[in-house]
Amino acid sequence: MPRAVKGLLIQCDPSIKAMILRYDEERHDYIVEDLDDDNHLVIKESQLENLKARLDRDLDEKMLLLDLSDSE
Amino acid sequence: MAASTSRPLEYLEGLPGVTFDRLYKQPSTALAIFRRMLPDLAKCFVMALLYLKDPIPTADLENWVKAESKKERDNALSILGRLHILSTTRTDENARAYMVTTTFASSLRHALTGSKDPQSFGVFSHIPDESKITIAGLDEYARRQWEGVLGYMVGVSALTGDSDPVNLSRGVKQLLQAGNLVEIKDRRVDITKEGFGFVLQDVNTQVWHIMILYVESADSLGMDSVEVLSFLFLLSSLELGQSYEKKHMSSTQLRTLADLADFGIIYQESPEATRFYPTRLATTLTSDSSALGTPGASSLTGPTGQGAGSGGFIIIETNYRLYAYTSSPLQISLISLFTNLKYRFPNLVTGKVTRQSVRRAIDMGITADQIIAYLMSHAHPQLRKQNAGHATYNTSGMPHSVLPPTVTDQIRLWQLERDRLRATPGFLFKDFNNAAEYEAPCRYAAEIGVLVWKSDNKRMFFVSRHEQVAAFLRQKK
Repeated sequence: MPRAVKGLLIQCDPSIKAMILRYDEERHDYIVEDLDDDNHLVIKESQLENLKARLDRDLDEKMLLLDLSDSE
Repeated sequence: MAASTSRPLEYLEGLPGVTFDRLYKQPSTALAIFRRMLPDLAKCFVMALLYLKDPIPTADLENWVKAESKKERDNALSILGRLHILSTTRTDENARAYMVTTTFASSLRHALTGSKDPQSFGVFSHIPDESKITIAGLDEYARRQWEGVLGYMVGVSALTGDSDPVNLSRGVKQLLQAGNLVEIKDRRVDITKEGFGFVLQDVNTQVWHIMILYVESADSLGMDSVEVLSFLFLLSSLELGQSYEKKHMSSTQLRTLADLADFGIIYQESPEATRFYPTRLATTLTSDSSALGTPGASSLTGPTGQGAGSGGFIIIETNYRLYAYTSSPLQISLISLFTNLKYRFPNLVTGKVTRQSVRRAIDMGITADQIIAYLMSHAHPQLRKQNAGHATYNTSGMPHSVLPPTVTDQIRLWQLERDRLRATPGFLFKDFNNAAEYEAPCRYAAEIGVLVWKSDNKRMFFVSRHEQVAAFLRQKK
């Protein structure tokens, strides 16, 4: 019996998808369906802002090292 | 044609035909539209047809243009048609024919050869003004008011700590807000995405943008928008440095005048004064010379104004260091939107474009292309000269950028980095029993254009809207 599930389709790089998968392992509160290719998955609509903020924060931390190296 | 004409043209084209008839009753409007809005070929057509008694057969007119310029001809005819200047009729022999619409023709003839109605181009004030203002004074006034408006948008006063140097009326602020150029949150003025695009345009385009907002809001302010629009065209045909009488004017025109003074488009000593002066912002509205780039208008853009072309003042190096030779608080605050400023000297600010500063700008809704366009149009002549030398080595045929390519590329990359994921809300359809059951609704979703993603292997697909697909599935059962 076919079903329809509400959600947000996320298209992103494999690296970003890996990060999202890792977040989800903690409490399984992001992902509705992992679509099993490298750059698609469906997440809960309510989690988008939260996810974006978390990704930005984590990526910024990693990028910071690069930024410092070319500062004044 | 200058790109800056496209917006007023777009607006005019959207007006109903009856409005055109009313607009064209004013000779000044007919002349202004003729001068500013038409491509050269269209002007030729109008001039050729203006004094003809009878309509000219379509085929004859089309013969005037060589076959290889068909595109230009069709473009000219289409603009004339959309602006209700040219209409098609039938000749006596029942052939299709063109003629200039009656109202436009008679108004343009009046404009060219003198009119019975002396007021249509404003009335000179003949009484000498004891506090007469010079053209330089008018330019200074216009520049200050206009920069004041822009400064208000980008929050100059907050940056420099000045107490608001130009007094903006409530009407101006409401107009900017209604036009979605600024938003007011918690009594703080925030520039919007549209606003940032706006402040980076050239002055002439900006003035038109504001004027069209003004005309659009006129009805809600209890004024007749057609009258306001035709008054704007009247203003644009006035002479710089001359003063004009106010006593023949209608109440709508007087009110418009007071509002335009806030923008620096006209100057009057006080709202009660009996005369007013148009500034360069008004007189260049419908002339071919733009408010920028011409020697005569340079005083308006001035050393501290927004110079384009040779007036650029920004140098950016391959190491992202930026030097801006300006003391204008407006320009400094514009630059500070996407640069980390470090030092400020009397005529120079320096800083660095960093990932962080660009990210900050992008978070505000500014795009990388807008930043690059701004840097490009304000590039210092030295930067242009230097990179022009390299142009010979550019074999790709791309127009060579005056900015270091590393910088422009990096700014774009910083923007891309921001959009790490693309999210599409919608519905995932899954758990189909067999391939046949899966294929039909999937193909249906693709046909109605809602399919975003599908996987034949997993028998799943994602749609942006589910109603029709769900109905389709129910129907099948």
